[in-house]
Amino acid sequence: MPTVEVPSPITGTVWKIVVSVGDRVAEDQPLVIVESMKMEIPIPAPEGGIVDAIKVAEGDTISEGDVVLLLRTD
Amino acid sequence: MAFEPLLFELEQRRAKALAMGGPDKLAKRRAQGVLNARERVEYLLDAGSFVESGQLATSYRPEMMDRSPADGKVAGFGAIDQRPVAVVSNDFTTLGATSSVVNGKKIRHVRNVATSSGMPLILLGESAGARMPDRMGAAGRAILGQDPQEYLRDRRTPWISALLGSCYGSSTWYACLSDFVVMRKGATMAVASSKVTALAIKQAVDPEELGGWKLHTAVTGLVDVAVDTDEQALDTVKRFLAYLPSHNGEAPPLAPVPDGSDEPIKDILQVVPESRSAVYDAREVVSRVVDRDSTFEMKPRFGKSILTALTRIDGRTVGILANNPMFKGGSIDVDACAKATSFLVLCDSFNIPIVFLVDQPGFLIGMEGEKRGAPGRIMNWMNALSLVTMPRVAITLRKNFGQAYLNMGGGRNSDEAAAWPSADFGFMDPATGVNVLHGLRREDDPARFAELMEEIARDSAPWPLAGLYESQAVIDPRETRDYLKSILRIHSRRPTGGVGGHRLQYWPTSY
Repeated sequence: MPTVEVPSPITGTVWKIVVSVGDRVAEDQPLVIVESMKMEIPIPAPEGGIVDAIKVAEGDTISEGDVVLLLRTD
Repeated sequence: MAFEPLLFELEQRRAKALAMGGPDKLAKRRAQGVLNARERVEYLLDAGSFVESGQLATSYRPEMMDRSPADGKVAGFGAIDQRPVAVVSNDFTTLGATSSVVNGKKIRHVRNVATSSGMPLILLGESAGARMPDRMGAAGRAILGQDPQEYLRDRRTPWISALLGSCYGSSTWYACLSDFVVMRKGATMAVASSKVTALAIKQAVDPEELGGWKLHTAVTGLVDVAVDTDEQALDTVKRFLAYLPSHNGEAPPLAPVPDGSDEPIKDILQVVPESRSAVYDAREVVSRVVDRDSTFEMKPRFGKSILTALTRIDGRTVGILANNPMFKGGSIDVDACAKATSFLVLCDSFNIPIVFLVDQPGFLIGMEGEKRGAPGRIMNWMNALSLVTMPRVAITLRKNFGQAYLNMGGGRNSDEAAAWPSADFGFMDPATGVNVLHGLRREDDPARFAELMEEIARDSAPWPLAGLYESQAVIDPRETRDYLKSILRIHSRRPTGGVGGHRLQYWPTSY
């Protein structure tokens, strides 16, 4: 099961982390909610898998492309 | 009777062609759960409708004539749901369905007849590329390029590709030229095989990484949809075809309206959040506006901040282009631009009216986009939109900011514009607006800041736009389906029988 990095698609602030390490997630399921452009924007899982590691904390400022999470994909 | 031995010989030769690469190779495929070239044609077409073209064609090389049934590609004409179609099915068990002189002639003929007779062309891909030694050396050059229109895409009839195995050479080239591509997971498509590539770059190459379904559905966008089996791929081909006309000289076929199609719109207010900052999945809106179960999404894994789908409203095919706030807040990135542009080209080329459902905070700003030429992509989209001759209807649901207002059918880029009461036609977010226009920060004078934000919000509401007749209606969200039914009926292009001007028919197939 390859591990993929999940990057943030946008620059903003980490608002909420909605999964925990070990959770099984489906493709498109929200992992982390980022505040940007005055909106709460979810970062979706690129494919199904298990959350391997969370690389950010609530309140962190992140840029487009910053890795927010590692996912062990199916 | 003198005919008897001749007819016997005919039977022998036919049987040899039908045997393809022989029982061992065919058994191996069956064991892998994969259909062969002729089984695919059988599954795809209406029973008994297949008229094969060139069953007794073989390689032109004398030493290969006996080992090249149908010269590796099964081609001909048939029907799908009683609509005439042309089909080319690659026979991988015969010399890897490699391309050479005779099968090149076959494809050319079937393709030309499809165009002149107004039939969709379906290409069932699985081919190992150019045939060796036919294509080697100067003599090999001489047999190439004999058809100067071999790779011309003029969109006179729909072309659909199914990638059903290793695809190199003609299977790949035609997929890139097609209007719709479905891929079976495990199949691959690339310029050269992983083996050849590994030799060329001197490192191991994983075929999935080089040309698998994940790459092509999510990164390159060259494949629309990936499925698990051959049968599902062929079913998907048929499903796509049902939305389109057989050729660009007619309107798409009508379909019955499923019972209960007018019900789902009633709870639309529960689906779109009242809070400006909250997001939702645009699919929830689209499914409520169109006929029940009629949504056929194109490129769902690519450029996700825009949703493009063939749908039906009142039994008529309609192309819906919707911003999806679920992804990147609906902000439009480079991939979404390409996806939108190719969808406009598809719909306009095949006489399908276009509906924009708008909820976008502007184009995505950032380094990544700029490196990929974002402004060029935005202009491609505007250029294509300017050439659309089919009816365009734009409904603004919530935000509609910036230049993207035009790309999403703003101003004269649509034939009718409507808005929900929640529409917001700002150029940028009100708080940023106060900053930029009045040089004021919230913390310096919160009361004045709030006042100025109010002012900007008021000017951005749908009422002034309707007042200026820039939008022709403000509608209750629950009226959206009825609004679209009426407005599309009104814009039916009766004088031409629903046929457009096709100014996008020569638009490039990739960009």
